[in-house]
Amino acid sequence: MAIKIAYYAGNTARASSAEIEDCIQPLCKTLGIVLVELPKASSDGANIIKQSSPKLQHALVARNLALAESKGLDVLTTCATSHGIMCDTIDEFSADRSFANHINNMVARTSSVEYKGESQSRHLLHFLVEEIGLDKVRDAVINPIRLNVAAYYGPNMQRQGACGDDDPFMPTYMEQLITALGGTPVEYDLKCQSVGAPSLLTINKPVMKMTASVLSDAKSNGADILVSACTISHSNLDSYQSKAGKVARKDTSMPILHLAELVAFALGHHPTRFAQLRTRALVIGG
Amino acid sequence: MTIVAKVWIEEDCITCDACQDICPEVFSITEDTSQILAAVRTDGVFDRNIGGAAMSGSTGTDYGEMILEAAEACPVEIIKFELQSDGASETVTEVAPAEAVAVAAPAAAAAVATGGSEALQTLFGGDRSLSIFFGSQTGNAAGLAEKTAKLAANYGLVPTVYDMDGFDPAALGNHKRTLIITSTWGEGEMPDNAETLWQSVNSQSPSLSGVSFSICAIGDTSYDEFCKAGTDWDEKYVALGANRVHDIQLCDVDFDIAYGQWVAEALPMIACVDESGTLQEVLLDEMIEYGSGSGEEVASGDFSPATITQDELSITLSLFRYCPAAADTGWDTIACAIPGHATVEDLLVAVQHDVDGSLAFRRGNGNGSPTSGIRVNGRVVLADLIQISDLVNDGGVLKIEPLPGYPVIRDLIVDYSSFESQRSATKPWMRADPRDGHTLLNGSAMGTMEISTADTLHAMTDVVSYQLLQSMSDTFAYDSEYKGPGVLLQQWTRSIDPRTGDAQQKDLVTSIGSEHGVWAEADFASIARYGSDGQTASKALNAARGKLLNSTNYSGPHGRLVKWYGRSVKWSGKVNETTLYRQVLGPLGLLGNVFDGVSARMVLGFTRTGSPPFRSLQALLLPPAGIGKIPNMVNSKVAAHHEVVNLFNEIDQRF
Repeated sequence: MAIKIAYYAGNTARASSAEIEDCIQPLCKTLGIVLVELPKASSDGANIIKQSSPKLQHALVARNLALAESKGLDVLTTCATSHGIMCDTIDEFSADRSFANHINNMVARTSSVEYKGESQSRHLLHFLVEEIGLDKVRDAVINPIRLNVAAYYGPNMQRQGACGDDDPFMPTYMEQLITALGGTPVEYDLKCQSVGAPSLLTINKPVMKMTASVLSDAKSNGADILVSACTISHSNLDSYQSKAGKVARKDTSMPILHLAELVAFALGHHPTRFAQLRTRALVIGG
Repeated sequence: MTIVAKVWIEEDCITCDACQDICPEVFSITEDTSQILAAVRTDGVFDRNIGGAAMSGSTGTDYGEMILEAAEACPVEIIKFELQSDGASETVTEVAPAEAVAVAAPAAAAAVATGGSEALQTLFGGDRSLSIFFGSQTGNAAGLAEKTAKLAANYGLVPTVYDMDGFDPAALGNHKRTLIITSTWGEGEMPDNAETLWQSVNSQSPSLSGVSFSICAIGDTSYDEFCKAGTDWDEKYVALGANRVHDIQLCDVDFDIAYGQWVAEALPMIACVDESGTLQEVLLDEMIEYGSGSGEEVASGDFSPATITQDELSITLSLFRYCPAAADTGWDTIACAIPGHATVEDLLVAVQHDVDGSLAFRRGNGNGSPTSGIRVNGRVVLADLIQISDLVNDGGVLKIEPLPGYPVIRDLIVDYSSFESQRSATKPWMRADPRDGHTLLNGSAMGTMEISTADTLHAMTDVVSYQLLQSMSDTFAYDSEYKGPGVLLQQWTRSIDPRTGDAQQKDLVTSIGSEHGVWAEADFASIARYGSDGQTASKALNAARGKLLNSTNYSGPHGRLVKWYGRSVKWSGKVNETTLYRQVLGPLGLLGNVFDGVSARMVLGFTRTGSPPFRSLQALLLPPAGIGKIPNMVNSKVAAHHEVVNLFNEIDQRF
């Protein structure tokens, strides 16, 4: 039986990270997940608007959650940052009811909806492991990954209350999923360390060093590719990896995928792209 | 010579025959339990002798040694006895296997129970067990439970502290004297460790008939559901047939006085409950006097503090080592077993004592010393505060490293001098305006502030270790000039303190907004994941950024990022990365991306070329985008976009 859930694409999946959008739709179809669009949903502020106005960011997020709640659904997202931001607002509302009422009043005045705390945010990773189940994913695999895969979680969803039943500081969900997809998970220390994604445009060297350290740690532990649970961190790890390597003087060259791509490839979608990835990972390297 | 005054068999006999084999004159195995033969009892009954009838004639002397031997051999430790010497009885209490997490009672509690009137002595002669249950979220209730256990021994009670987590609800009815100490969490919810038991009690409704109890509830009057968890337990116990011997005590955030009052009244009262469960209230005054120690009898025994005990865990310890003389680093792997309640510091002390005396680490005071920080299994913690059971993962691996971001001196010892020098340079201590009588020169009354301001300041100064806070930031280890969240939080706290002088406020805000100040933090999420201290710091530093953005009118790259992010979301409901990159990086920054290989990777990279190749070619011709293939120049709008605009207009019209 199909499981219905509202889909929040995050800030970039329908802009610069369209490959995620290419993959999330078919993979959900294969696994019996029905994604319900939220056409009115806006950006969540990405913790950038919060710097100027925490209230405004909470209101944007509460409105998105309320839109899903009005359909009686939880929200699925592929972005760890977006998931972490939604969990922040959910926690804030639950800890401070008067603040929640204050924000809800504004959301209701402008959008005729309010967030009552029923809809919860689910990251694709937790949803696959906890709701769909690894057995079902394993059964659906058509093209096993057969690569050494390092999982990158980042810090946004690795905190109590935002990572399901996984350990916030030593998570294993993605490694379990990689195994189910026929890949070999690679253990490395920095899988939850930030790569400084919110400051990619404003802080140069430290952010590049943080990015390089994650990549080189994964690579030195034998990873062929790195899979990211975060759409925004993905940009640091992928587009900026050569610059990061130059700044930190480390070997950072490695193909980067988003989790949605990895799952979609294993489930038999985009076989040409998967073949190209294997060639690139095993022959070219970077 | 051993003389046994009475012997009895408790429940759960496994009929292994061991006692009968050792002393068939006293013990006889029936179909489901061992029993005490009628011939050796003054009441002449053949049963388990739960009533505690004395040994008849010289049987206590004749078979004393064998009874002790049988009790020792009993695999389930259910053979209980009382010894008799010089005419007085001495109860030998054997600690039952722990149910959930239990606390060992002060060993000589029974020794206190001497002196007092004959009636009091009779009371002390029976079962004196007291069960103290705690429901605790932050450790306050658990601490009070331990404290109560220590005080209970003064009233001749034999206390055991139980963590509610994992406790069998069906066994609650067996705990005839019960004290409950619980906090309330969130909006009137049970603490996490009590939730399951609460649900089970509600669904199973075990009979609590014959149980005497009293409750101490900790809460916060600023919440609507003040002390709800405590009142829920109170009502539930009464509903299930228990006898409330002392009214529930509701304690506010400063619970010391209220708790002290409760424990001084509830303990002697529950101590007056006799073995049959009857409250002997006539003995209350004598019990209070007895417990206060004002009587002639001098209490003696082992009054060492009770400790919460947990099962032993088998651990594979991976320990970072660094020898400065040899400039050599490496990892020691040690297999060990240690109780789950031990702290990481306990473990390190044991390793130092038993395995390698050269292991270097900072010892704390056992109560969360700010400088005892280390990293265990990926999280930064205070070694003298955190328990092993809170850290160890399913595989039983414990990886211990020095605190990140600080230079390592040896093994797990780091050099905090960078923190101290940063702190010293930023001068976050109080520099108030000059005084003039009872007011400051600026006219405000000295030392006064709004309650909300005081609350905010208190919350920010409740951070346990600023040194540890530094290491919570992932940026700290990669930017040697960054002040760090520990130093910045102290500066920010001082800057919003209304008692701070104007000149110092200006200095502090300038320092916070400097190149290596709050803007140097690359990602608050790495700090916010560390519980309440991390949340406090990330919120405070975010507020600092908000103030700086206002004062600088959103100038500089950080200001432009926030301004244009907000604007693009307001204009379409979505972020426009093209606009963002162009506005924040400017032409030179974008050109830099070409030379740094970012643009090339954008075009050639595999994962970022999922959509039409035209977009990638566009990136070569027009360089505004910095990530992936070039996104849309102009965003389409989300449906009902006017709602987003209205939200912006309602809350923040600066965008």
